[in-house]
Amino acid sequence: MFGYYLRLASRSFRHNPGITALMVLAIALGIAVCVMTLTVYHAMSGNPIWWKNDRLYAVTMDNWDPNHPLNPKSDLPPPEMTYKDTQFLFASNIPERKVVMYSTEGVVSGVGSEPAAQIGTRVTTADFFVMFEAPFLYGNGWSAGADRPPQPLIVLSRRENEKLFAGANSVGRTLRWNDHEFRVIGVLNDWFPRPRFYDLNGGSFALPDDAYIPYGWGSELQLLNKEENDCWRPEKLDTYQDFEASDCVWQQMWVELPDAASRERFQSLVDAYWAEQRKAGRFERPKNNRLTNVAGWLRDNEVVNNDNRVLVGLAFAFLALCLINTVGLLLAKFLNGAAVTGIRRALGASRQQIFAQLLIEVGLLSALGALLGLALAALGLAAVRHMYAAAHLGERGGYQELMHFDVVGVAWAVILAVAATLAAGLYPAWRIGRLSPAVYLKSQ
Amino acid sequence: MLEMHDVSKIYRTDLIETYALRRFSLQVSPGEFVAITGPSGSGKTTFLNVAGLLEEFDSGRYLLEEKDVRTLSDDERSRLRNERIGFIFQSFNLIPDLDVYDNVEVPLRYRRLSGADRRERIGSALELVGLASRAKHMPAQLSGGQQQRVAIARAIAGDPAFLLADEPTGNLDSLMSRQVMDLLEQINEMGTTILLVTHDPELARRAQRNVHLVDGQISDFRAYEPRAAVAGAMDAAGAARA
Amino acid sequence: MNLNVRPIMSALLRNRTGAVLVAVQVAIALAVLANAAYITVQRIERIHRPTGIDEANIFVVESAGFTARFQQTASVREDLAYLRGVSGVSAVTPTNSIPLSDGGNNDSLVTQPDAPRTGYINDMEIDEQGLDALGVKLVAGRNFDREEIQPALTRSDISRFVPTIIVSRALGEYLFPHQSPLGRQVWDASKHQATIVGVVDPVMGNFPGSEHPDRVFFLPRMPAEAIVVRYLVRTRPGQRDAVMRIVESHLAASNPDRVINFVRPLGYFKDLSYLGDSSMEIYLLTVTGLVLAVTALGIFALATFNVSTRTKQIGTRRAVGARRGDIVRYFLIENALITSAGVVTGCALALAAGYWLSVHYALPRLDLYYLVGGVLALWGIGQLAAWQPAWRAAAVPPSVATRTV
Repeated sequence: MFGYYLRLASRSFRHNPGITALMVLAIALGIAVCVMTLTVYHAMSGNPIWWKNDRLYAVTMDNWDPNHPLNPKSDLPPPEMTYKDTQFLFASNIPERKVVMYSTEGVVSGVGSEPAAQIGTRVTTADFFVMFEAPFLYGNGWSAGADRPPQPLIVLSRRENEKLFAGANSVGRTLRWNDHEFRVIGVLNDWFPRPRFYDLNGGSFALPDDAYIPYGWGSELQLLNKEENDCWRPEKLDTYQDFEASDCVWQQMWVELPDAASRERFQSLVDAYWAEQRKAGRFERPKNNRLTNVAGWLRDNEVVNNDNRVLVGLAFAFLALCLINTVGLLLAKFLNGAAVTGIRRALGASRQQIFAQLLIEVGLLSALGALLGLALAALGLAAVRHMYAAAHLGERGGYQELMHFDVVGVAWAVILAVAATLAAGLYPAWRIGRLSPAVYLKSQ
Repeated sequence: MLEMHDVSKIYRTDLIETYALRRFSLQVSPGEFVAITGPSGSGKTTFLNVAGLLEEFDSGRYLLEEKDVRTLSDDERSRLRNERIGFIFQSFNLIPDLDVYDNVEVPLRYRRLSGADRRERIGSALELVGLASRAKHMPAQLSGGQQQRVAIARAIAGDPAFLLADEPTGNLDSLMSRQVMDLLEQINEMGTTILLVTHDPELARRAQRNVHLVDGQISDFRAYEPRAAVAGAMDAAGAARA
Repeated sequence: MNLNVRPIMSALLRNRTGAVLVAVQVAIALAVLANAAYITVQRIERIHRPTGIDEANIFVVESAGFTARFQQTASVREDLAYLRGVSGVSAVTPTNSIPLSDGGNNDSLVTQPDAPRTGYINDMEIDEQGLDALGVKLVAGRNFDREEIQPALTRSDISRFVPTIIVSRALGEYLFPHQSPLGRQVWDASKHQATIVGVVDPVMGNFPGSEHPDRVFFLPRMPAEAIVVRYLVRTRPGQRDAVMRIVESHLAASNPDRVINFVRPLGYFKDLSYLGDSSMEIYLLTVTGLVLAVTALGIFALATFNVSTRTKQIGTRRAVGARRGDIVRYFLIENALITSAGVVTGCALALAAGYWLSVHYALPRLDLYYLVGGVLALWGIGQLAAWQPAWRAAAVPPSVATRTV
């Protein structure tokens, strides 16, 4: 019966090419716009490390000015911490893994004939790679012992390795970073967490850093966070050591806590430290020591902003418009073919059979619409990528990464197509099935 | 008032040419009640369409109230249909979404009459056909006979010079048919010329004059029991063709 | 003109479904159109806010010293001497940040030495050619002198302030409402004092996305010893691209202890800052266009359908005397009634959506001009879409009335 209905449906399409094309187009446009918007939205709102969502926690404490919060609109503490505080907390062995880090820039030189160039470099402790599951193509990261005193080891991104060493296995090769000799210990594979959750500075869709060096080099070379350094207290800041001792925030800290118990213990540790420091005159603001999981972190930092949400709403409004359009056209089409339907009923088709026949016709329509819609969406996303690339605007952020078609987009299209079938087709199919055959046979 | 001379109408498809009317001639005087009969396919409907200015013809002459129809523009034709002709169709052709009152009103709306004028005419038309109490009903709520009577009211509300009726009783039972024919006679007595197209010889008998069509030509005409002596009723000029 | 609206209206009310569907489409279209147009114009206006900066003729050079030998003071001096000598260049300033790039420094300023801090204000380090290099206009006071320019902050000298600053007019108004800020004193976070010696207007600082992008002050100081140093180079009109090429090739090789990260026009950074707004704009325009197209198609399709199912009625009307024009008018009026119903509902929907957007998404309230514009646009499109079907209806011959097939 299903095959028969499909044949009836395709015959009906062929005999009414104009109205069929119109309906397929309407559905396709609605689905295309939704898929495009949802793909981008998903990329923005996705949690790229969702399987570890309740193990990884960003550590923040509010050491800010008692007279004036850093962020007046929310009650969030600064997203970075002071050097002093991270050093103390890092010493704890409650977390299964822990990382303190920040992003700086350094000039790489001394590699064959490659001209010197400045690259983004992450100064980090050893656990970074395992905690955030950065995949290695060659070699591996350094061990905790290499952090302090810092060993001259460097991990490169795949892209940087392509540039410097033509993609070869460069483990063991040396290069100069800010004119100091470093040895390559590992090369990362392609890695684009969307968004770059562990460090949302520089734009949520910034690409991961080009190189990583052990944490101790920060103090050693007096390196600074290239993105965020915030100070509020008028204190002596004449030397780098003063800086490390100050209430300036510039370091990022994440811990991996495997269960609720360890989380509670670590929270108590932070709170106890906070209380003690407070007695010494710091932390004058109300207690606001947070352990935030990845999802919460993304939310707090407003990775998905209002514009994105408005666009999603708009996309659905447009889809609704297209579906209502389709309903109208379907009604028109079915009513026009009412005479034939009446004959079928006169010849013995039941209401349910008519209903099924019409619903399958609508289903076929939606399927065609979804296919076309997917094609349009892919084209649309490609066009947007091209636009960004043409304006060289994709360089700074991984915006081009956002515009990729992925499984989620296809899944959405399928879901939307099914929903469209039901939404658009139920009423017309029901209405036609309901009317008595005599009405049609007598109609002029 | 109505004169057709050698009117022909041809329907052409790719392969076939059909003469729906073949050199047809007819004269009708004011106040006559003429029946056009013939088997199906004989051209009755085509004659009606041509006579009622619904369709154009290919050759010949047609003078309606002394005006040569061919010289008229589409708008002028519409005006004539509106003011001088009333139609009654076999399938009633009431507009299903309008109630009885609005249906009767349709031709009057195109005539730019005042609201009061329209109301008066519609009122008396509905009185005449005996349906004044049903003014707010929808066509679907009426029987076939009642619907046809509404159609008659619509046709006469504008006080036309003549009525064209196409198988007016074709979809009605014998009781309703009689009612409709009585009405038509009544209207004719009031002075309106009537052209009645029918295949039913019983109905044709109620007219004063008969014109019989076969294959687009008049094959026969006769007068049945003339109710009044109407001069020139027998039109020998329209007699047999070769 | 005899419009015959009442019978058309009652017929419509009896056979509502198609009309309701079209009216709903029109309503949604109006809500989308009015709000999208409004937001788009807002964004366009944002992007075109006056910055006071001669964006078209300025490019940015970023230099990164990396060896132990590198001396920023000497390097900057050398670079400035070279840049200021290039033909086509009208002014150059060294600085620590790039205007309009959404990246830069903030400091806190208060008007009393012990006053509590109320917020952070954008600041930029420039030298005596800074205002010229930006192209901003002094409206009061004076520019910095050469002698006033302080040496750069270093790793061992991080918190020194400056004795004099130049403020934007907006900042002056904020710090000293309704008074001239010239000659007044301000204190920074470390309680260092400075005097305001000049006011510029208009000017936008580093953060176009902030709430008050025009509150900015300038420090007469060489750029701090940091990872990079930047030069803002302003050229004479039309010379920018040529000068950029010359400068890039020279500076890339002139000092082996540093690399040139980029030589880019200022517009690049501004475009990047406004990427969100311009994307939104394009998206909204596209979807709005599609909405109008789909709505017009829907109206066209329904009108065509109405005509095709009512040929008998049309024929009958023509038979009883309706002219072609009467038939066209009938369908246009019917369409107008449906569109109007949609427009009225759409107004309510548009206002509700506008209100909801303003409350939940911090967008400003819908301006009624856009609603009116949307109404007119949709009404016009609605009638246009129905025109051809109405015309086709008029072509139905009156003989249809007698045909029984």
